[in-house]
Amino acid sequence: MFSSTRSKLIASFLGVSFLVGVVSLFIGGQLLYKSVLSEATNRVGLDLNAAREIYQSRIKAIQCPLTITSLEPAFRAALKKRETSELIPRLETVARRAELDFVGIVRKEGDTLCGVGKNSLRCKAVEITNPIAELVFDRKVPVSGTVVLSKEFLSAESHELADRARIGLMPTPRAAPRAEEEETSGMALAVAAPVFEEGDLIGVIYGGLLLNRNQAIVDTVRDTVFQHEIYKGRNIGTATIFFNDLRIATNVMTPDGKRAIGTRVSKEVKEHVLTKGKRWTDRAFVVNDWYITAYEPIEDIFGERVGMLYVGVLEAKYADIRKKALSVFVLITVAGMALAIGLGYILANKIMNPVHQLIKASQQVSEGSLTPEIGPISKDEEMRILQNTFKDMVASMERRRAEAENRLLQSEKQSSVGRLAAGVAHEINNPLTGVLTYTHMLLRRKDIGDDIRSDLQTIAESTERVRKIVKGLLDFSRQTKLDQEPTDVNMLIRSVISPMENQALVKGVSIKFDPGENLPTVTLDRNQFQSVLINLIINALDATEPGGNINIYTATGLSASDTGHKGVEITIADTGSGIPPDNLDKLFDPFFSTKEVGQGTGLGLSVSYGIVQRHRGTIRVQSELGKGSTFFIWIPIEEDS
Amino acid sequence: MKILVIDDEPVVLNSCRKVLEEGGFDVYLVPSADEALKAMKKEVFDLLLVDVKMPKHDGIYLMQKVKEKWPDVPIIVMSGYPTPDTITDGAKMGADAFIAKPFTPDELLETIRQVIQKEDNHGKK
Repeated sequence: MFSSTRSKLIASFLGVSFLVGVVSLFIGGQLLYKSVLSEATNRVGLDLNAAREIYQSRIKAIQCPLTITSLEPAFRAALKKRETSELIPRLETVARRAELDFVGIVRKEGDTLCGVGKNSLRCKAVEITNPIAELVFDRKVPVSGTVVLSKEFLSAESHELADRARIGLMPTPRAAPRAEEEETSGMALAVAAPVFEEGDLIGVIYGGLLLNRNQAIVDTVRDTVFQHEIYKGRNIGTATIFFNDLRIATNVMTPDGKRAIGTRVSKEVKEHVLTKGKRWTDRAFVVNDWYITAYEPIEDIFGERVGMLYVGVLEAKYADIRKKALSVFVLITVAGMALAIGLGYILANKIMNPVHQLIKASQQVSEGSLTPEIGPISKDEEMRILQNTFKDMVASMERRRAEAENRLLQSEKQSSVGRLAAGVAHEINNPLTGVLTYTHMLLRRKDIGDDIRSDLQTIAESTERVRKIVKGLLDFSRQTKLDQEPTDVNMLIRSVISPMENQALVKGVSIKFDPGENLPTVTLDRNQFQSVLINLIINALDATEPGGNINIYTATGLSASDTGHKGVEITIADTGSGIPPDNLDKLFDPFFSTKEVGQGTGLGLSVSYGIVQRHRGTIRVQSELGKGSTFFIWIPIEEDS
Repeated sequence: MKILVIDDEPVVLNSCRKVLEEGGFDVYLVPSADEALKAMKKEVFDLLLVDVKMPKHDGIYLMQKVKEKWPDVPIIVMSGYPTPDTITDGAKMGADAFIAKPFTPDELLETIRQVIQKEDNHGKK
């Protein structure tokens, strides 16, 4: 079954379509996806830049009002005079306008003069570091940027601020281990500007925005950069601000729909970004899903890496694109394979059906039938040739079988008739000698009357006829060896024709001989062959009316039955009466004659047949009633000579 | 001129006598090869006319015997079965001529005449 041509054909079709499918799957699934992914990664990288701009612009938005305030003369005068009642409304205005979480003033002596927070007038006994103000005192220029604020600082500003800053650490897989259970410090965007009065630094105005739990920046990033694109109910784009490795402001959601504040970044990313200070752009596992992400470190005003800025795009969208592409490719492959099976089946049928039919036909032939069913002739050229050749082969087998049968029948007839003829001839010849001699002796006598003489004449003539018949029988039965010698067939024919030309002339029939050129010599018994030719020409003469023709040709020819054996063919064609189709079969039978009684023995063609056959040649006839007959004698030439 | 005719068939013998006597020959007839040999011991013949196919001993046997003892006597072979084989066999045994049965008186006399003439020419040499 599996070794049949059909299954091989189908298998190879399947193989090809499968290969194409696998290749396209690979290209589609891997190469295309990779390029899509790298495109996405690039985009996320750009998105991170945009996020950073937003982050920076937020700092600038704080910087501006604070700096302006620090330069106002009234403000400076009020600060110099420590008029807190004058200063606080100004600070409150600034805080409101810039949406600041804390604003305050630190005097050059180091104490905090006032602030907007509830606890801004803090207990002087406690030393609370104000890192940003200290930096301004140090540098005497405005400072802005990210700053880490201690719990104490935040508490000093307001308890609410401290509370907001406190974030419990949530267990996060893949995160680097951390000892503490909650983060109490805060990360803030802060600005501080020096206040000069007549060249003296009299204080510093500072203000800022606590980033812990402040979603404004990350949501702005999400809404402007990703335009709030939703995928399966989730935001595709996400942004996060990390304090150290802790999410303090994010719109990445936990499975229960809350912002994933308190979760941490994976150890791998932390290592790469926070420790090494490099940018990360790759797919990463964020909280509970895969994202195409970009991270970069956030440095504080002192140049320390204190946190990270992150944007990420849900990978599921791209994975879905891949899934879709893959399923399309799989579909195409499956469809291709189905098509291959169908096509292969149809093609195989188309090719194999005639072959199967031929196989059946050959089986029929081997079982003895010579009329096998080959089926419809194929349109395919090779198949058509095969079918036609097969047909020809069977036809030629059938023809040869018929010929062999015919020849067998003929030779059986000949041998039995031949034996009979020999016996009869021998027995008849002795008494015939008596009849013949006595009749002739009587005819010699002078003393007989004319009537007796006439009767005797009849006896003599009849006896002569008997003698001819018996001689014919003997010729027919002769199974002698051939006395063969190399012969020029054309010369042999000429030697036969010339003595008959007179006879033909008398009858008014013309004999034409058209000798073929370059005929090979043929080994044959000249005497016997002459009698064959004479017999055929006499028959032709007898059949042809005055004014008719007898045409004789010779040519080199291949055997009609024997495959490809070379020989010489002699054609004797007359324009005579022709032979009725019924008689064609019996033509070579002994004693078959169409001539009137006394005209022929019925042995001439039979004897000729025997002679040609003993030369391993063939004799056949074509005839059309009223138009004439053509005899073909074919004699093989010796292949060796 | 004495001619011995050997044939097992009486009608042939009688036919031959009729023709040959008419032709002016002395004719002696015997029905078998053995009889012929017996006759030849008694008399000298100028020519033998021998049939090939005879019961007991055939014409070929007779010719062998004759050629042994009387090699100079010309022999004409006659046969009702004139195949080339018969003719060649006869010629090999030293037959001088061959005549196929049936024959007309003229054919027989002509054949004999030719043999005698050939013999004469031979003899003169």
